[in-house]
Amino acid sequence: MQFRPAPHLARGLALAALLFLATRPLAAAGAPPAPSVPPPLRVPVWIEADHPQDPPFAVHFEATVNGHPARIAATQGPASDIIVLVVLDVTGDISLVDPAKKALIDNINRLPANAWAGILNAQDGLHVLADPGPRRKPAIDAISGISTNGLPGLFETVDSALHIADAMMRTSPVRVAVLYVTDGNIYRYREDYTNPVINSSDPHDLSRKFPEALIIEKVSKLQTTLASLEAPLFVAHLHYRPDRLNEAYQNGLTTLANETAGEADFARSPTEIPDSINHMFSRILSGWTLTLNLPPKTRENLEVKITGHAGDTEARLSWRSRYVWKHK
Amino acid sequence: MCFLFLAISFATAAPNTPPQAQTTDPLSRATDEFKIITRDEGMRADSATTTTHHGPKPAYHGRVYENFRNDILDAIPHEIKQNNQQNAVLHRNQFGFNLGGPLIIPHVLPNNNSTFFSISYEGVRESISRASLHTIPTMLERTGNFSKTVDQAGNVIPVYDPTTTSTNPNYNPALPLSLTNLQYNRDPFPGNIVPASRLSPLAQKQLGYYPAPNTDIGPFFQNNYFVNAPETDIADGVIANFDHSFGSKHRLTWNSTYSNGFLGSAKYFNNIADPAAPDQTYGTKRGELDYIYSASPETINTAAIFASSSTFQAGDGGAPFPLYTFDNYLAMGAAHPNSHRARNHYQLRDGLTTRKGKHSLTFGAQYDQFQVNTYWPAYPAGDYQFSYPITSLPGIADTGYSFASFMLGLAQYGNNTIVTAPSYFRESRLAFSFRDRYEWTKDLTVTLGATAYDMSPRTEKYNRQSVIIPSLIDPLSGTPGGLGFAGVNGVPAGLGPSVYTLDPSLGIAWNAFGSSATIVRASYSRFHTQLPLYNGQFGTQGFNARQALTTTNSQLQPALTLDAGFPALPFTLPSLDPSFSNGNIADYMNLTGAVPTYQSARFSVERDLPLSMVVTASLAYTGARNLFIGSAAANPNAVNPSYLTYGNQLYDLAFRETLQRFPQYPGVSLGSIYPQGRYQRDAAALRLEKRASFGLSFVLNYTYSRQWDDYSAPYGEQDFFNSRNNWSLSYYNPPQYLQLTCIFELPFGSNKPLFNYSGWRKPFIDGWSISSSAYWNGGTPLALHPEYNITGDVINSLNVNTVPGVNPTLGNPTATLWFNPNAFAQPNSFTIGNASPTSPTLLGPGVEDLDMSLIKRLPIGSEGAFEFSASAFNCLNHGNWNTPDTGIGPPTAPNINAGHIIGSYGGRVIQLGMKFSF
Repeated sequence: MQFRPAPHLARGLALAALLFLATRPLAAAGAPPAPSVPPPLRVPVWIEADHPQDPPFAVHFEATVNGHPARIAATQGPASDIIVLVVLDVTGDISLVDPAKKALIDNINRLPANAWAGILNAQDGLHVLADPGPRRKPAIDAISGISTNGLPGLFETVDSALHIADAMMRTSPVRVAVLYVTDGNIYRYREDYTNPVINSSDPHDLSRKFPEALIIEKVSKLQTTLASLEAPLFVAHLHYRPDRLNEAYQNGLTTLANETAGEADFARSPTEIPDSINHMFSRILSGWTLTLNLPPKTRENLEVKITGHAGDTEARLSWRSRYVWKHK
Repeated sequence: MCFLFLAISFATAAPNTPPQAQTTDPLSRATDEFKIITRDEGMRADSATTTTHHGPKPAYHGRVYENFRNDILDAIPHEIKQNNQQNAVLHRNQFGFNLGGPLIIPHVLPNNNSTFFSISYEGVRESISRASLHTIPTMLERTGNFSKTVDQAGNVIPVYDPTTTSTNPNYNPALPLSLTNLQYNRDPFPGNIVPASRLSPLAQKQLGYYPAPNTDIGPFFQNNYFVNAPETDIADGVIANFDHSFGSKHRLTWNSTYSNGFLGSAKYFNNIADPAAPDQTYGTKRGELDYIYSASPETINTAAIFASSSTFQAGDGGAPFPLYTFDNYLAMGAAHPNSHRARNHYQLRDGLTTRKGKHSLTFGAQYDQFQVNTYWPAYPAGDYQFSYPITSLPGIADTGYSFASFMLGLAQYGNNTIVTAPSYFRESRLAFSFRDRYEWTKDLTVTLGATAYDMSPRTEKYNRQSVIIPSLIDPLSGTPGGLGFAGVNGVPAGLGPSVYTLDPSLGIAWNAFGSSATIVRASYSRFHTQLPLYNGQFGTQGFNARQALTTTNSQLQPALTLDAGFPALPFTLPSLDPSFSNGNIADYMNLTGAVPTYQSARFSVERDLPLSMVVTASLAYTGARNLFIGSAAANPNAVNPSYLTYGNQLYDLAFRETLQRFPQYPGVSLGSIYPQGRYQRDAAALRLEKRASFGLSFVLNYTYSRQWDDYSAPYGEQDFFNSRNNWSLSYYNPPQYLQLTCIFELPFGSNKPLFNYSGWRKPFIDGWSISSSAYWNGGTPLALHPEYNITGDVINSLNVNTVPGVNPTLGNPTATLWFNPNAFAQPNSFTIGNASPTSPTLLGPGVEDLDMSLIKRLPIGSEGAFEFSASAFNCLNHGNWNTPDTGIGPPTAPNINAGHIIGSYGGRVIQLGMKFSF
């Protein structure tokens, strides 16, 4: 997603971009520290227990940022409000899409009252199919009516989806997670990530011996973008493919999800699809979000450590540990 | 352009400040923010009417790149270093761009996110050395002096004067041929020197085109010519894709490719007699239009039209040089000096997919039309093959010399091609398919499918086809197998029948024990393939001609003399005479409609492991019959090996022909479409996949396989009457194969555990990654072959004998001796070998390779990046050994090189790349 600036702002930003380019080496040589009072940081945390949605104990969290103690300004757990933005990126075999739809509908029907789901699709850019809300029917209708007539769009839309989720989290004290349900095949993307052979008569082409280079590059760019966002990304992929380029693509999705403290899962058979989606919802709903007040003069690269205690017991946690802090 | 994207990325990092929330409920406030952003970004149905914006700003992405290679970066290849050469010239630039995004044409196509394009261009400019080692005649031999010409054991090869041949009155046919029981007497040239007066004037003239030897690798005078010549490669190509959506239910996509290329082959020597393939130009055009219609969320139809055309031209159209071949010497002249072709493929297809309960049904229909327009004369100036028998002591091994036969101008075999016009071959195929994927239980999915084919035979646009009809009596010889012509006397236009097949497939996927951690898969499928359309004029005799002159007795008579050349064709083209090919190599096809049938079955178990790993173990079987094979593997007009008991009498063509099925033809050509090959492959494989974590992912594949066939032996097959005798390990299949591909994002820089720097160090530390690909195989089966083939021209390719009780393998094989040659023996004259075409136990040297690529990425904004890459192919500069010499000689002239490996090949190649993407 490209957030469209107002016209006067666009001109100003273009000028700023010019100045930025002209002064970048100089600026890089003496980069000024980040503003002295950074905004709060929201960190997704999971208690790695057998039944994480219903921990039998109250957890007391402690946090450090770059080795310094950070104050936890707010704690939102499984009982807190949550919005799940479900992005449908289904363009292939309907024998895989159909069980995914059913599993999604089942999970949305089972959502607790504090959980709302919004539905988007990722073909030709993000499009809203149903707004988050207390009523389940619009979301269910949107899922039922989605067609698979399109091209994969996860790579082109994932930063927009996470930007939206990020903005929602900053506006309101709710947990927000983005769940992509996708069957994307890297060969079907509109953009060229497979570097296909153009000149079949060229017998000594070595540039395609590492054919995944364009995929790695795209993932790297998205990593850079997502590093400063706070909402977690979850990917339920309906069709695992073992060829080299799709391996790289699927590993890229895993990397992106891991970077945001989310998770990616790849169904290797149709029967795994419902379990995969159930697992994603379970994981999303059981998540915690800790809002940390960052210490003054925090550097732009943040290393976060969270510990949790339940009485005398240390809870087994997973959390997102790294961020690139940017002024927002 | 980059300024624009920077501006956009800045805006991205500072999104709109949300208006004050209208509600206090956190969920509602977050939802309000969702609505505001998605409305402003044009993501909602009401976006365009409720905001001042007109959809999102169009986002264009693409890249510009250059890949550079030069020999100054590379290691000197092993094969070049071993010949004391210092460089292998290489200059290569590969450059291009890609641009994609919405297609906007003012007043025609607005920016409504419905029409998109992507266009890519790539150009290549390259000059690359090709190194090879050959044997050419010594300067002494070129004067007719063979006093220094020796065999593999270093013994002088005696050259006999064919004009002194006389019948030996004391010959006893009951005893084996030997020096004491000769069928023919013949005198050697005094001093092993052919007198100057006897040398062919044309041979002496043509020798002027041969270069002088330039090295002496040996042994003896072999491997005396090293070539290191540049090959030129120029190519330009474009891929252009468009797609357009009509609402949410209709989509059109257009994909097209256009490419032109020139390949200037490396010259062995720089004159008209160069045996290298001629320079070639290529062209490719390809386009596909797809229409996808979603009738409902459960029903989708895809219709497509596809067309492709590839063109090829070789040679400059000038007067060609004849082809002269002399056993193991580098030839003069080349086959196919001037040729051109166009291959066209048109396709219409439609696929309907729908969901019904637990069934997912797919119905498909497809029609393909194939065309090949080909002009491919193999030997327009004649092919003269010189061999040793005419200068040998008849029947005695290790006598006679092919180059001496050339100096005398006495060719054992001659081939002349007359092509009057291109051939326009056509073929079509109609297919209907059905597939049902059924969810039997929660954990078990079963897939059933079937495909029915109607495959047409090959036709020619002007009916210019012919073939041997086994039931047609040749009026001249009175024997079966006259030449029949398409569309004449009841012969169908396609010569053979159409083929109808029905191929089933079955597959299951079972999540064992209800767990997604373990998946068991099993599958079976069968399929048939259609007769391929090859280049060339195979099957057009009578409209074109091939003069194949065969000696009446290779030991006594040449097929033709160099100075006289080919006789005039006794027919005027076109000729529909059933006897047109008599005395020639005739084109033979199987007219029963048999086509290759493949069957495969696979069983695998996938299991999730800790540390983000998945292991897959699989067993696979593939078998095929009726595979299309060529004249080296089959011959319906062969003489049965049981007739070898006739001994030397077999050299008499007239006698030999009486033993053939079609005696009017000395041989037949199969055009590589004779459906008689069999193949089987059994494989066990283990695959370990490490999903991305801590920046590392890899896939490790190990395969152990055994593959057999009865057609692929590199020196040809021995017994055309019992293919079981040819059943042996496929020489090209390595039983063991290991491959590792790995991607590692180095763990330092922003958002990484190490060196998490900011400021001036950040651009240097961030964005490093390594990709690598390693490959190893344990060697391929060795094919041993005898040095001499004294079987009366009956056996095309002779196997060796195994020596009982002698182990062919060595405990520690080295380049000096890779296997034990004493375990094998040259078969006696007029007997076939008892070994299989490839050894069941001996493998050649293994092959290994490690390629690595180091990439440094420098982000510019959220979408832009400079990327620098350094890729090293064979980065350890490992030299892989050549295949050992597998020639086995008789005890009187053993091949002293048997089992030896001469040299290695390969060398590190480096490519530098630079790319700017946005």
